[in-house]
Amino acid sequence: MVDKVSFINSKTLRKDAFVKVRGLLKFTNDLEVPGMLIGRIVRSPYAFADIKSFDVSEAMRLGAVVITPDDVPQKPFNPRLVSVNEVTFKDHYVLTRKPRYVGDPIAAVAAPTEELAQKAAESIKFEVERVYEPVLDPFKAMSVESPLIHEKIMKGDEWIEVKNNVAATLNYVEGDVDKAFREADVVIERFFKTGKRYHMQLEPKAVLCVPEADDKITIYTTTQTIHNTRILIHQIFGIPLSKINVVKVPIGGSFGSSIQTNVLVPIAVALCLKARKPVKLTYTREEDMLDHSNFTFNFRIKIGAKKDGTLVGAEFENILDVGAHQIQPYPLLGTSLGWFVSLYKWRNIRYIGKAVYTNKVPGCALRGYGAPEVTWAVEVIMDELAEKLGIDPVDLRLKNYVGLGDVFWGQGPTVRSVIKSDGVPELLTKGKELIGWESRGRPEDKKGRFRRGIGVGRGFHTSGAGGPISGEVIDYSGAVLRLNEDGTLEYITALQDHGGGTLDAHVKIIAEELGVPPELISLATATTENTPYDVCTHASRGTYVGGEAARRAAQLVKQKIFEYATRLLNRVVNPEALKIRYDEEVKQTIIYVEGSPDIKITLKDLARTAWQRNWGTIAAIVSYRATSAPPSFTVYYVEVEVDTWTGKVRPVRVVAGADVGTPINRDLVEGQLHGGFAMAWGMAFIEDTPYNPETGELLSRGLITDYKIPTAQDIPRVEDFKVILANTYEPTGPFGAKGLGEAAMNPAVGAIANAVYNAIGVRIYELPMTPDKLLKAIKEKEGD
Amino acid sequence: MSRELRPVPINLRNTKIIPFEFQYFEPESLEEALQLLRTYGSEAKILAGGTDLLVKMKIRAVEPKYVINIKLIRELRYVRADRDSVRIGALTTWRDLEKSDLIREEVPALYDAVKSMGSLQIRNMATVGGNLCNASPAADSAPPLLVHEAKIKLTSIEGTREIPITEFFTGPGMTVMKPYELLHEIIIPKRKGGSSFIKVSRVAMDLAIASAATYVEVEDNTIKDVKIALGSVAPRPIRARKCEAALIGKKVDEGVLREIASLVAGEISPIDDVRGSAWYRREVSKVLVYDSLIKSLERVRR
Amino acid sequence: MIWVVKITFKVNGQPITLDVKPNELLINVLRDKLKLTGTKYVCGIGECGACTVLLDGEPILSCLTLAVDVNGKEVTTIEGISKNDELSEVQEAFMEEGAIQCGYCIPGFIIMSEYLLRINQKPTEEEIKEYLKGNLCRCTGYVNIIRAVKRASESRTTKTG
Repeated sequence: MVDKVSFINSKTLRKDAFVKVRGLLKFTNDLEVPGMLIGRIVRSPYAFADIKSFDVSEAMRLGAVVITPDDVPQKPFNPRLVSVNEVTFKDHYVLTRKPRYVGDPIAAVAAPTEELAQKAAESIKFEVERVYEPVLDPFKAMSVESPLIHEKIMKGDEWIEVKNNVAATLNYVEGDVDKAFREADVVIERFFKTGKRYHMQLEPKAVLCVPEADDKITIYTTTQTIHNTRILIHQIFGIPLSKINVVKVPIGGSFGSSIQTNVLVPIAVALCLKARKPVKLTYTREEDMLDHSNFTFNFRIKIGAKKDGTLVGAEFENILDVGAHQIQPYPLLGTSLGWFVSLYKWRNIRYIGKAVYTNKVPGCALRGYGAPEVTWAVEVIMDELAEKLGIDPVDLRLKNYVGLGDVFWGQGPTVRSVIKSDGVPELLTKGKELIGWESRGRPEDKKGRFRRGIGVGRGFHTSGAGGPISGEVIDYSGAVLRLNEDGTLEYITALQDHGGGTLDAHVKIIAEELGVPPELISLATATTENTPYDVCTHASRGTYVGGEAARRAAQLVKQKIFEYATRLLNRVVNPEALKIRYDEEVKQTIIYVEGSPDIKITLKDLARTAWQRNWGTIAAIVSYRATSAPPSFTVYYVEVEVDTWTGKVRPVRVVAGADVGTPINRDLVEGQLHGGFAMAWGMAFIEDTPYNPETGELLSRGLITDYKIPTAQDIPRVEDFKVILANTYEPTGPFGAKGLGEAAMNPAVGAIANAVYNAIGVRIYELPMTPDKLLKAIKEKEGD
Repeated sequence: MSRELRPVPINLRNTKIIPFEFQYFEPESLEEALQLLRTYGSEAKILAGGTDLLVKMKIRAVEPKYVINIKLIRELRYVRADRDSVRIGALTTWRDLEKSDLIREEVPALYDAVKSMGSLQIRNMATVGGNLCNASPAADSAPPLLVHEAKIKLTSIEGTREIPITEFFTGPGMTVMKPYELLHEIIIPKRKGGSSFIKVSRVAMDLAIASAATYVEVEDNTIKDVKIALGSVAPRPIRARKCEAALIGKKVDEGVLREIASLVAGEISPIDDVRGSAWYRREVSKVLVYDSLIKSLERVRR
Repeated sequence: MIWVVKITFKVNGQPITLDVKPNELLINVLRDKLKLTGTKYVCGIGECGACTVLLDGEPILSCLTLAVDVNGKEVTTIEGISKNDELSEVQEAFMEEGAIQCGYCIPGFIIMSEYLLRINQKPTEEEIKEYLKGNLCRCTGYVNIIRAVKRASESRTTKTG
């Protein structure tokens, strides 16, 4: 190992950087093909209505191709195919006669230009039979007076009736919570509510659907999963999978908003099939905001503990506002519980989870799939518990957290494994020193207009959703790796890179395994035609699951390289005697025998010889299922300054700690933490999508004038943002690596909320903590 | 259903394009522009920076038949001073103001507003005239001009008139301008006091939840003259005259200032909206007025 | 009265003559007609900075600019920042500092950073943030972008002085 060049420990530039800085990378919206039509969706102007009929004559006269619900299959589907069929709830239609929120697609057109398509879309008239009052509150939705937003939906292949607008439920009990509370020395109960955040990924969703000469269709789209996109189109339209090719196109951020196939994809396919021409459909920003946002979470959390800080029980009630359609809130009910039970050892648990329909934009995953919300609430209530018990909040966490050797089921009850790497004590201890935890003071001692406070938040995310047993979640990945005739390599994976650099991590993993510099490994265009199935880039699984698939492919390639080398290096007894490494002196990858420096061959020569002598291509195709989904632990210490006169809060210092096992690309790991903090800041103080109670329309109307995210001026000084990485190694991950994307954000809001409390002695249980709410609370507390 | 539920015009909006056609004019002189305005009047819209108008057109808040682009009328872009006043041509961009020493020295509240307004890109495009004609209750330019008692010069084919800025705004998006008039110039009297502008918003680049500007003159540590104006807390940008009257003759003392600044709450009529509640606007207005007074006092030329 | 306008302007140094309708936006002319797709549509209302281009050297938003308005002027898009495939210091620094994640906002940031360093060779962190506040990024949390601008500023000043 001593003389081996380690690519993992060296800094490399990301492969796509060179095209990105020059503006040359083509995203879906940048693609075009000859003869392409431009699509435009007609959306419901009502929050809840029955449409009787459509008049499309004017649109036809304008020469547009038009589709209404009559032109599309009327079989319900769920656009998110990560769960197994039996627990997939289906209530979506490509176009609907019964729109259930302002913006629900009811018709669509395609025309040669955007202007014409717009004109045609505007010209479509429809008659409504009935318009209902919008139901915007999940608790109201569950009452008997509220109309049923959906009457019948499908669960798997069965029709089920919806009662009280409850879309899905999940309950869980372990131990005896009532007894635990009776025996506890301290019991705390709190209610929490989150905002309905919007992803605000920079790239609005887009699709280009091209009919091919051989009856196939090719789809280019903003997706986190090309394979599930293909399967969904197959399910809706009945086209065989072999006739659909989905091409992986770079994506301008996603944060969970394209785990599901966004509904513009089936709409474009329907237009394309009708027009028999290529159709490009791209959302405006305001449409994008009508396509997806997060769920709204309503929690009731009750916890009990002994005087010494030992937790004895917890009750967790979770009412999810899912909006007008299910993009799988059912597994979210499971993960919400998973995050909850995997944060701390509650010992006795009772969980009630309900997902409820309202006439709002359908909710979907947003970076963390409930973990930022659950972790915020738990970290706040743990802080309160620490204060009540007179125990340092850090010590209370260390005493009770789920760590090394514990059973872990972050992704829900059916995805269990045992924790094998744990950097929590290291991160909590180091972070404490860096932030100056001991001198943070108590809120009651702080005076003056501007008050500072320090808070801690601790959490994790899983690396994927794998496990030893096949549960309710589909999780496996694949990789294709080929040695070219000149010794370079071609790597193909269906796994999408959202921008975090996942595929650069894969390349480095292959580089490390084969001793080939990353520059010589190319990322080939991936399609559903040339890749094995990958479920989706979500659940922070890209590096851990996809990276391990890549490593295994490299391992197979390496074995074949050794076989060929054995033929070439005369005296070598068998492939097992060989090793491979990058030789700094000759600047080549060499296959050699340890201790016999003369017996060697370069990979380049080997590849060329194999070609010239007709030995065949060295290539590997791997399909890989991880048997665990280890937690990547993260810790945030945050210092804030509160203006007690205006309720405005400013970030002062941040210490972000992450246990990602081996960091494959340190700079990319840091980038995830920076981005995670900024997103958390938005969630904590700014982000929400309120609705007009009369019309059911978004108050922002989809304009980001009224959906603000943090700007460069809203973050701490660069030198005041410190990142620490735990010195751990995950034995099940590629070269010891775990995931990060979501863990990078999960505990930050809790840390921020606790810092606000430490500054002013006020807790806000409803996100976002707007200046409005903070000022009101400050005034109440100070009796002003 | 007890009430009629009306459709939301979502299918009309498309921010990728300007979704309708219009007739377009590019006058090169003021004369020509005024003639066009006379002819097309209320069916025409003046295009200056475009940062407000084009957004409104994309979301179909306005749908003019005629668009008169006045950007080529270079004579309307200037910042200059004579003995008594600073004059700003309507086509002057925010970036021009930002680069102007004259504005920074003579109208510091306006300079503050420039710095807090929009991105650099927006400041490069948006014009002073456009911001005023748009008449948003949240327009950052308004409170500074109100405390500096600016006058607005309006020109039409019939001649010109000067309106005190206090009378210029009549409601959200509404001004006293006639459809055939053009905002020509802003005239700001030179004064010896100090002024400042402060706003509170959700993020750094944002519309104000509330904003305030103040102008102060001091003699013998006593407030001799004071003007207070606020934005985003009433249907139009307003002056807080009771608060002003209460401050005249008072010693400069932080406690007194804070107490009197809180009177402003009684002079405003804020609403709840997506940016903030009426309650919050009322509370924060007191703080903004106080903070602005302190900042203006620091700037008073003693 | 004008329905179609012939405009002549320069894009990245190349002279262009085009017929445009008055309601056509610069962003769409650049992207659809001139195939310069580095300029991105993100919000369409001037709130995100992704469509920023230089007009006669000054940054403006191409989503709120009529194409007719660039007649006689010079437009620089992201594609015009590197000369003959040679990256500018800003582009180099963005790569080196890991300032790029999904990359969708990056053209706008690079244009703004180029402009900033042209008028202010050694900006402070506050100045960098002030100049970049109109450009939204959802991935990076801005930290590495700010670092990249600092780095580019340093490499420029060492080169020139």
